[in-house]
Amino acid sequence: MRRMKIDELLSATTFETDEHAPHIVIDPQACRTCPSGRACEISCPAQRYRWDEANEVMTFDHVGCLECGNCRLVCDRLFTGAEGYSWDYPQNGSGVTYQFG
Amino acid sequence: MTTVDEEDAFEAIVIGGGLAGLSAAYRLAQAGRSVLVVERGASCGAKTFTGGRLYTYSLRELLGERWREAPLQREIDREVISMLTDTEAMNVDTTFADPAGRSYSVLSTPLVAWLAEQCEQAGAEIIPGATVTGLVIRDGVVRGVRMGDEELTSALVIDAEGINPLVFERAGLVRRLAREDVAVGVKYLFKLTEEEVDRRFTTSDRRGTAMLGMGAVTKGLFGGLFLYTNIDSVSLGLVVDSDSWREHGHSLVQTAEDLRQHPAVGRYVAGGELVEYGAHLVYEGNVDTLPQLFGDGWLIAGDAAGFCINRGFTIRGMDYAIASGIAAGETAAAALAAGDVSATRLSAYKARLEGGVLADMAKVRGAHHWMAHTPDLFSTYPALAVGLMRDMFTVDGGPLVPVRSTLTGTVKKVPKKLSTALNLVKGVRSL
Repeated sequence: MRRMKIDELLSATTFETDEHAPHIVIDPQACRTCPSGRACEISCPAQRYRWDEANEVMTFDHVGCLECGNCRLVCDRLFTGAEGYSWDYPQNGSGVTYQFG
Repeated sequence: MTTVDEEDAFEAIVIGGGLAGLSAAYRLAQAGRSVLVVERGASCGAKTFTGGRLYTYSLRELLGERWREAPLQREIDREVISMLTDTEAMNVDTTFADPAGRSYSVLSTPLVAWLAEQCEQAGAEIIPGATVTGLVIRDGVVRGVRMGDEELTSALVIDAEGINPLVFERAGLVRRLAREDVAVGVKYLFKLTEEEVDRRFTTSDRRGTAMLGMGAVTKGLFGGLFLYTNIDSVSLGLVVDSDSWREHGHSLVQTAEDLRQHPAVGRYVAGGELVEYGAHLVYEGNVDTLPQLFGDGWLIAGDAAGFCINRGFTIRGMDYAIASGIAAGETAAAALAAGDVSATRLSAYKARLEGGVLADMAKVRGAHHWMAHTPDLFSTYPALAVGLMRDMFTVDGGPLVPVRSTLTGTVKKVPKKLSTALNLVKGVRSL
């Protein structure tokens, strides 16, 4: 069977995305000194976190987030709410909108 | 005594319109209490996600015989437990003659949407698309919710936020969920036709199969696969322990894709159209790491309370969500009728759960720890099982090997023989 990339997997799922209001915030520069072994990269089931080796920053895209909450727990900075890091639910009914669940 | 204020907009506000919140609201509405459900999704069901199996006893308790009208999928009459290596599998496959409607595969969005309709017909109000951002707390008593600048007061609040109870965690009313106490699950939903599902699983009449598997699919870490047949689709998923995955894991998405490539698993979904991909956390903590369950003016139910049991061969969350929702709703209705929503009065909720989910969780309190710290379960044992079967069924013209020699040969391959055996005994006791 053909392997699928994350963008193809997520394209099967419905999102009502608020492009301008990320519900999860990280500090891409501060992520250079990650105390959590960049666990977000392997632990996010939507692969929203990617380490940009060339620029040494963590990139995060809230569009496509499945709102599971795993990053909130595996990332020590999100967990403790360190400065520049926060985790909320999307507002006004936006975000992942399951059709089957 | 914490009393009921005539000025309140509602007698009860429920945070979260999932199975737990709606079950509570349904009971409150039935008891003639004014109740509001605040749901952050665009509609009830939009944010719910499940592996896909419901044990129906609590749905019966909630709805009586009307539970049969609920949009369920297939009645499970076949249970498969699978042990897998990278490329092979040994299954224990059992078909039951009379499943008696005890368990169905489900898709949670239509189920929850339907339950929301029942709540509204019973008199509950639901505001979808609204996210609760905080609580109204007066003199230490929870007296309503905040949604941005807006404030809605009530005599009591039932928290059914789900596995990430942000509002109650931030208010300091419950402990923080910890990564040691959760697993993360992903699920693919593949659309087939009803006839094709029947053919692949050799069944008919909307009977269904549930498969749970463990072994190489989680790269030797605690977790496993699940597969449930729906009417015209198949749910396939992978669940891994959040904390050990963080330490030793690989890409979760790649690992899920590897599962789909497994010859013993992928064939069930091959050619199906992927119609949804999603993820959800699963509570794996034990009864000792549960949050506080009630306080002055509040109760907590469902995933938010951590009501979930994974014994490896059964995974129960939704039945406890409904059962705890019923208990919360009935306790709240009685408290409102008595005009007393104090913690003392609401402690009746916990007392009631001690005859159900809390007793169940106490019985398996060591299970998660044992499974998470026994990597042999996810590597050695599946490999031995598959190897034994391969040896027994290999006929290639070579000298015949007696069964006792095959067994002896297998046992010899067991590493750390004694500790493994002792550990197995210990583990079985914990389940």
